[in-house]
Amino acid sequence: MKSKMKKLNDFEWLLGKENRDKMKVDAKIIANDLVLEALENDAIAQLTNVACLPGVISPVVGLPDMHYGYGLPMGAVSAFDAEDGIISAGLCGFDINCGINSILTSLKAEDVQPLLQELIPALFQAIPCGVGAKGKLRLTPEQLEEVLVRGVNWAVDNGYGVKEDVPRIEENGCMEGANPVKVSDMAKKRGRPQLGTLGAGNHFLEIQKITDVLDEATAKEWGLFKGQVLIMLHCGSRGFGHQVATDYLKQQEIAAKKYNIWLPDRQLVCAPANSQEGQDFFSAMKCAVNYSFTNRLVMTQWIRETFERVFGKSWKELGMNTLYGLCHNVVKLEEHTVEGKRKKVYVHRKGATRSFPGDVVLIAGSMGTSSYICKGAAASLEKSFGSACHGAGRVMSRATAIRSFRGNEVKSELAERGIVAQSTSPKVLAEESPDAYKDVEAVVDSIEGAGIATRVVRLEPMGVVKG
Amino acid sequence: MEKYKFLDEITSDVMFEAYGSDLREVFVNAAEALFTVICHNVSGNEEREVSVKGKDTDELMFNWLQELIATVDIEEMFFWRFEILEISETALRAKIYGEPITREKGETVVKSLTLHKYKFEKTSDGYITRISCDI
Repeated sequence: MKSKMKKLNDFEWLLGKENRDKMKVDAKIIANDLVLEALENDAIAQLTNVACLPGVISPVVGLPDMHYGYGLPMGAVSAFDAEDGIISAGLCGFDINCGINSILTSLKAEDVQPLLQELIPALFQAIPCGVGAKGKLRLTPEQLEEVLVRGVNWAVDNGYGVKEDVPRIEENGCMEGANPVKVSDMAKKRGRPQLGTLGAGNHFLEIQKITDVLDEATAKEWGLFKGQVLIMLHCGSRGFGHQVATDYLKQQEIAAKKYNIWLPDRQLVCAPANSQEGQDFFSAMKCAVNYSFTNRLVMTQWIRETFERVFGKSWKELGMNTLYGLCHNVVKLEEHTVEGKRKKVYVHRKGATRSFPGDVVLIAGSMGTSSYICKGAAASLEKSFGSACHGAGRVMSRATAIRSFRGNEVKSELAERGIVAQSTSPKVLAEESPDAYKDVEAVVDSIEGAGIATRVVRLEPMGVVKG
Repeated sequence: MEKYKFLDEITSDVMFEAYGSDLREVFVNAAEALFTVICHNVSGNEEREVSVKGKDTDELMFNWLQELIATVDIEEMFFWRFEILEISETALRAKIYGEPITREKGETVVKSLTLHKYKFEKTSDGYITRISCDI
């Protein structure tokens, strides 16, 4: 597959639809030479599968952090005609609105470094993380329903977060049109005890410092400065969202048969956008999106309270405002220019962030490497349906990483560099070893080179809490 | 016969095959494989009962493992022993044994099973199922 890709410029590669039977549109990959070289052929083939689905709009886009996934690559964006296209639970993924919140502080790295050994364990205690941690909240069915419909507005009304957080979250922390009637009892049962929990795997809470300011004007506007400490929180919609996705995966498998949709991969289940099955998923997915926005804001408040205890000042004095919160796995009805005309499309972002011009774009590096805060740029609208990559992207499978590294050694190596890491098991540190990921610099070079987003600041980790 | 085997197939997720000479065995072995991903050193004997249906055995296996994943969240328990009380091609009833979740015994969250390369097949010497999990 890779050999058939045509180089458009130093950062864009095209795989024409003529290269495979049943491809309706081209596939495009945003990558520099280094990133493309490391790309798996199977991941490219998965991208072409998506290009076979009904009503797909050209092109299907692979972002530079893309890697082989289930059904489609992680790090992919596809858009479908709102009239003739499909909506897919498979393309959205199981962790609906897995995403990142970035929280500012007015603290400098030198203020935080001496207290890291106290701060990280305190955060580890304050934030339920890992598969074995019980949540601290137990929502009643009525409270859960309110979370699903009102998103972060429920959190703010109940003392988790403040009204100033709301406009700093994608969709203002609440997608309109969420309908809990479309959500199964099983999903609701899973959701009630888990609000305010981090989860496990690649989910994390990281204390970071800004090492380089690359766009002074924007940094100033966003309240960022060299040496500043920020907090990055990465997690999703927990068992609630997983169950919603699973329920609709099964329902859309039936729907695909009913509407005679040919699926190049069984995981790419979908339903016509205008069908009952398609719209039911969209309404239920929005509930999971709202749950996840709320989940991150609840934990944001606990992070603030932990900082208050460790630093002996109120979180407002510590300047702990939300910089931005965004989604990674989501379906959105958006208007884009398609062949010169404005058109409504269902944009499926799987392991991708929105990157509209001026948007805050948060790109998480791996555990021991740098992350970036970028600014969405104009070309993203014409090249990637207003989307950028979400992280560095894995190059090594979890299984290989566990065989290749030892968690305690990874922890020691991080400690040698002054990074304090705490997790529920050493294995997760091995799985998430920095060496299991792509070079984040090459990934960010690719999106910047393609004009999708530009660097504002570079961050390095100081401490990390993992599930 | 080998009970299960993990395959290094998906970059960021987990795939395994489970085997059994009969339906009962392949369902138990698949559950055991799944729980090696979720937790370790679990030995409690608190029991729960689950009943699962499917339109065929292919779907029954998917729904069985999915039910177990959901039960971890709802009951806040880890499981390690699975006793199939009754099984047909479209329904099963089982007792599952375990203990309340603790951070120390947790491995990772299995978000869901996926349909990616999923299979359930009868072979010359029994059954095989291939499962990929989003973690």
